[in-house]
Amino acid sequence: MTSLARRVRAIPSWQVTLTVALLALGFLIAAQMAAEGPRVQYTSQERTPLVSTVLDLQKQQGQLEQQVLDARAAIAQLEAAGQGGAAVSQDLNAELQSAQISAGLVAMTGPGLVIELSDSTVPVPADGNEQDYLASGADVLTVVDQLWAAGAEGIAINGERVVVSTAVVDIGGSVVVNGAYVAAPYQITALGPASMLDTLTHLPGFVDFMHARQVAYGIGVAVATPDSVDLPAYAGSVILRYGRPQATPLPSVAPGAMAVP
Amino acid sequence: MRRGRGRAAVALVLVLLGFLVVVQARSQAQDQGLSQLSVQDLTELVANVTTRNNQLRDEVATLQQQRQALAAAVQRGDTSTTQMRSDLSQILGWSGVVGVAGQGVQVTAAGPLPPLAITQLVNELRNAGAEAIAVNGVRIVPGVVATGEAGNLSVGGTPLASPLVFLAVGQPETLAGSLSRAGGIIAQLTAQYPSVTIRVDAEDLVTLPATTRVLAPTLGRPRL
Repeated sequence: MTSLARRVRAIPSWQVTLTVALLALGFLIAAQMAAEGPRVQYTSQERTPLVSTVLDLQKQQGQLEQQVLDARAAIAQLEAAGQGGAAVSQDLNAELQSAQISAGLVAMTGPGLVIELSDSTVPVPADGNEQDYLASGADVLTVVDQLWAAGAEGIAINGERVVVSTAVVDIGGSVVVNGAYVAAPYQITALGPASMLDTLTHLPGFVDFMHARQVAYGIGVAVATPDSVDLPAYAGSVILRYGRPQATPLPSVAPGAMAVP
Repeated sequence: MRRGRGRAAVALVLVLLGFLVVVQARSQAQDQGLSQLSVQDLTELVANVTTRNNQLRDEVATLQQQRQALAAAVQRGDTSTTQMRSDLSQILGWSGVVGVAGQGVQVTAAGPLPPLAITQLVNELRNAGAEAIAVNGVRIVPGVVATGEAGNLSVGGTPLASPLVFLAVGQPETLAGSLSRAGGIIAQLTAQYPSVTIRVDAEDLVTLPATTRVLAPTLGRPRL
């Protein structure tokens, strides 16, 4: 014992450090090779730059979304600060805030449920189509529709708020929601009444979906009912480029104030 | 001398170690199923994400202008509400609380289509950049969905008579092109439902009504 301790103590400390570092290095090289193995196998020459392009664009998207949210928050603050107590402005400010809430531009919290759709774990038969066994954009659209029909007042798909302009587009085995890439499993969060789950499971459209997708292909459909659910704010564009809003019902305007066209 | 060489070796290994930790962390973060997509899928994804990013850039630019104008107005002590009224009008129009008019398309679908087909048509119009959509005079907003069965559809509780007439505000050529392209939604639906006909016409002016659905939440609260 003592001789071993003495021998260990006799080893210069840099050698101990080096040994530990080399061990860690070995682990990392192994992990790296394991991680790269399948990708090397499947990556075609043109795909790697495309993947990195997507990753760059996604990074930009995250930054732009944050800029939109920050600018909206700053504007709301300025609008509240600039009111100077004028009653018309206060009414207008309140109306603007409630319009933003109704439009999905504000993060919300409340009762609700989460439905998770995942790819089938059933082995694809030799004569089967692999796509049928993946949770798809059509599945997401169907469940979102059924949740609205069951009384949801707000919905999000993997952190993307479903708003008036939201499209769900199939790309390979994944989907694009609000122009953002989203991969399975799809978590569809619905804010709504406690009766929503019961209503949902009795809707013919939802029952048909369960037969057509879960029973027939093994698509995973799981439900969670947490105490409360959170919906993110929609961080995208609300600009009308081709459309002109029609006359709006506004709070009573003081004489001489500018009328809205 | 020995000590110096030992330190150099440790330093070298630590540098390599750091490098690999970063590479490993990056490759872990990267995979989101992206490496499983085909070249065609990736190209489509790049197009989608680019479109969204360009819209976001426009939105950021618009918001920054608004912000500067507001900050200047606040500094001047100007309590003009013109900017706020314009913001409100945009949001109400965009979200469907008020009617919207502009150029766009009319899509006429005759024959029995199931509810999901309505959702898919609306979804494709949105994907092509439609700013507002209505079917048979009912504005489509979140929560207004098609229910029932083929030949006996309702949307948001309103029964739909045949033919279905969709109106959408947006760039007419883009909307029409996206619906009518080879392998597009019209081709898919008419292949799946052979008795259905769908035609698209570009329009200089379509006028869409406000929604009758109450969009204000009753259960949810803003999250701070």
